[in-house]
Amino acid sequence: MEQRSIGLRQDLLRNDDSIIQNLNTAVLVVDLDGRIMSTNPPAEQILGESPAQLLGEPVARWLASSGEALVRSTLERGERFRAVESFLTLGDGARLPIGISWAPLMDADGQRYGAVATFQDLTGIKQLQNQVLQTEKLASIGQLAAGVAHEVNNPMGFIHANLFQMAEYVSDLRRVWEGVEALRKAAAQVDSEELRSVGAQLTALAEEADVDFVLSDLGKAIRESQEGSERIRHIVQDLRDFSHQDSGQRGMADVNQCVDSTASIVWPMMKHLVVLEKEYGEIPLVPGYAMQLKQVFMNLLVNAYQAIEERVGDTAETGTVRLTTRSDETGVFVTVEDTGTGIPEDRVSRIFDPFFTTKSVGNGTGLGLSTCYSIVQRHGGRIDVESTVGEGSTFQLWLPLEGSGDDD
Amino acid sequence: MTIELPRSGPAILVVDDEPRILSALQRSLRREGYQLFTSESVQEALVLLSSRSFDLVVSDHKMPGMSGIQFLEEVARLQPDVPRLLITGWTEEIPMEELRRVGACALITKPWDDARLKATLRRALGMEPVETPTEWSSAGSSSSSQESRLR
Repeated sequence: MEQRSIGLRQDLLRNDDSIIQNLNTAVLVVDLDGRIMSTNPPAEQILGESPAQLLGEPVARWLASSGEALVRSTLERGERFRAVESFLTLGDGARLPIGISWAPLMDADGQRYGAVATFQDLTGIKQLQNQVLQTEKLASIGQLAAGVAHEVNNPMGFIHANLFQMAEYVSDLRRVWEGVEALRKAAAQVDSEELRSVGAQLTALAEEADVDFVLSDLGKAIRESQEGSERIRHIVQDLRDFSHQDSGQRGMADVNQCVDSTASIVWPMMKHLVVLEKEYGEIPLVPGYAMQLKQVFMNLLVNAYQAIEERVGDTAETGTVRLTTRSDETGVFVTVEDTGTGIPEDRVSRIFDPFFTTKSVGNGTGLGLSTCYSIVQRHGGRIDVESTVGEGSTFQLWLPLEGSGDDD
Repeated sequence: MTIELPRSGPAILVVDDEPRILSALQRSLRREGYQLFTSESVQEALVLLSSRSFDLVVSDHKMPGMSGIQFLEEVARLQPDVPRLLITGWTEEIPMEELRRVGACALITKPWDDARLKATLRRALGMEPVETPTEWSSAGSSSSSQESRLR
């Protein structure tokens, strides 16, 4: 039995190369100098080179600098890497996103003699991820538009109606003024009979137009409309603050500003049901994409609101959403705490999965939290949740001061 | 709560938590010959509804404590025969079947068109015939996307 097993192992070792050649996964084997010793057809296809062009060449030629560091750690220190996202630089200069794993190769004495890599082309997956991000962005814009439209339409409603009524008042007052003009002319002619009759007409006109009321209400209508237009101006200002820094570029993000401007935008939608508590600490800027972080906060706030909405239902109760920011030497923490329905224990572990939703049809894409997750991951951060059914949920975000996310 | 003169004519109750909307409606309807009762709170309006009868009840949708739909449901329980209208700043948030369920006969969208608002109220009060059974509904802006046909 023992003998047979050793024989099998030797056969296997002899067939090593044929196994590699027949794998449906791209495989590269390099020696201690990082020179390619063996490849298989999927690897040759992804790299776009023939085996003759690859064998003996330094693998670094095709690796991005971050990818080169991985193989060096494997060759020098025997470190292993699993499914790390990186890039290949192809012969025509094109950059190809890949997921790559590295493992050291040892001889019978336990000495490292090289490393083996398996990798896959992530182009399709990356495109899919971008589509998901885009879909979720559109869904957030939809929610945003609904909230803003609602908030603008209230003041617009009364400004529009008041303007119409003020135009009526002006035409009423014009008729009265015409009576005043006629009275002036009559007075100039010093015809007392005419004066009396025109004066009586003017009194009738003034009564019909209800001049006292019109004059006092005109002032009131103007003041109320001014207040309404001031409210709309504020909403537009909030929108401007929200979309500020929307260059889509990586920069230094002011997390307090991101949280607060997002809260201002979402607030109108939730104000009927929610008491919002804010506790912002003095926190440093973090490297990242401000607009993407706002998308995360928007998702968390909308979720918090929906959880409260579901909990209070038809009762006249309200819920509380608490926003907190703080920092330590490692990074910035943001918590979004709600007193909503909470998430059942068996679902907590799945809520960051794409297309997983606990909401009713039409109330969520199931992409919100998975998008949050990938955005936070892109920032090199973490997102965690604690939840108790019937009490509420707390989402905590950690964003590192030293960004380790991708730089594309 | 303000109660507007005249003290005769059809009694209309309007509920909206936005006082500016109420005063704009009072302005618009000043010469229409209605007894206009306005209230900023649903609770106050419910008290009023249990103390006297109305010819028409108009309610905003998004209000603290109770939605317009829930309020109109209560109205239907207290005064089943009174016609009911809903005002909203955002039509998409209200499913049509919900409106039908609470027996709302029309949806007024903010901002509204003055002439259409007045016509909608007259129709709801049965003071003006409904031109075609499917057409009398929205007093909102004339854009067809905001039209809501309820019958």
